[in-house]
Amino acid sequence: MSGRRDREARREQRLHEEEQVGAVERRQRLIKLGSAAGFLALVAVAVLIVVSQSQTGGGDAGNIADAAEVDQQLDGIQQNGMTLGEPSAKVTLLEFADLQCPFCKGFSESMLPEVIENQVRNGEAKLTFNNFTIIGPESTPAGAAAIAAGEQGRGWNFVELFYRNQGAENSDYVTDAFLTAVAKGAGVPDIARWNADRKSKPVLAEVAATTAKAEGLGFTGTPSFAVEGPGTTGIEPLGTPDSASDLESALSSAR
Amino acid sequence: MKAPAEGTLRGIATFFATFGIGVATYIAIADSGGGSPVCIAGGHGCQTVAESSYSHLLGVNVAVFGIVGYVLLLACALLRGDGARMAGFVLSLVGFGFSLYLTYLELFTIDAICQWCVASAVLMTLLFVANTVRMLAYVGTRR
Repeated sequence: MSGRRDREARREQRLHEEEQVGAVERRQRLIKLGSAAGFLALVAVAVLIVVSQSQTGGGDAGNIADAAEVDQQLDGIQQNGMTLGEPSAKVTLLEFADLQCPFCKGFSESMLPEVIENQVRNGEAKLTFNNFTIIGPESTPAGAAAIAAGEQGRGWNFVELFYRNQGAENSDYVTDAFLTAVAKGAGVPDIARWNADRKSKPVLAEVAATTAKAEGLGFTGTPSFAVEGPGTTGIEPLGTPDSASDLESALSSAR
Repeated sequence: MKAPAEGTLRGIATFFATFGIGVATYIAIADSGGGSPVCIAGGHGCQTVAESSYSHLLGVNVAVFGIVGYVLLLACALLRGDGARMAGFVLSLVGFGFSLYLTYLELFTIDAICQWCVASAVLMTLLFVANTVRMLAYVGTRR
């Protein structure tokens, strides 16, 4: 009897040990599986990021695109400094933007063309570009270069062309070569003068002044807009509008 | 060293994931309104980060990916079993890796720090630690 009990006890112990070994092996297998799945998921996310960022493009001094489109868009509209449109227009739409800002680029390409065509081209309103440099150190030389182009009547061409060739922010693409290529593409006639102007104290001071003005109006993001006209009390902040029609109705009520 | 009880780890993960949903939702809502999150300590850091091209991946705000990630991590924390243990580990590893990448961008590319993003990175790191301990200590066990 005791021999049979011993055999049963040994059998139970063996089964228990086998179960324990099986459980350990299963745990190790699952940990390996989890680690492999985690590694693969990380690789997949890395690929997604690389693909997404590679679509950014732009910022290439040797490949400035869309100069002809910008010329066509602004053709026949008067420019004075950073103001686009008839100087006598009663209503002014003030844009506060950072040339490095991708949202500003989006606004410039999707919303502003409608406003320019419907309100600025016919002399009903004028549009001013004001630097609001918040993205980083490269925003200041970019903004100063736009103002310097504006002193030769090509400020808006510079702004629009810069946006169309914008690189990833603070990626060191705002070089002298890039700015010069944009200025040439924008049709700035005297590049030597532009070069001197963009580094001059008054131009750099203007970049700082418009940034301070934007902050004074309570803006926290770019692009932000404000409107001024007979129907407003001074400069009326609009913030960041949702659509071109919002901008147009703000201009109408400012008349 | 003995791992904490699985219930404790799941409780910690539930707390951090819920917190994470709140932070990511705030960033996403602030962004969708055309503005940016407001830095509690002041400064332009949050708006600079929010307006950078890196704030969107394939046209979608990264905070939206954050909300999805935290919701899935919350589900993993609430569920029992090996599936939840392993999914929690994999998801938090990806979230941790992505947070490292975003923090690197803030420090070295965008040159601005957003406190909300830092808060999310800290939460994701804590979730990664909790989920890793949970998986290593309890996967394959019946507890």
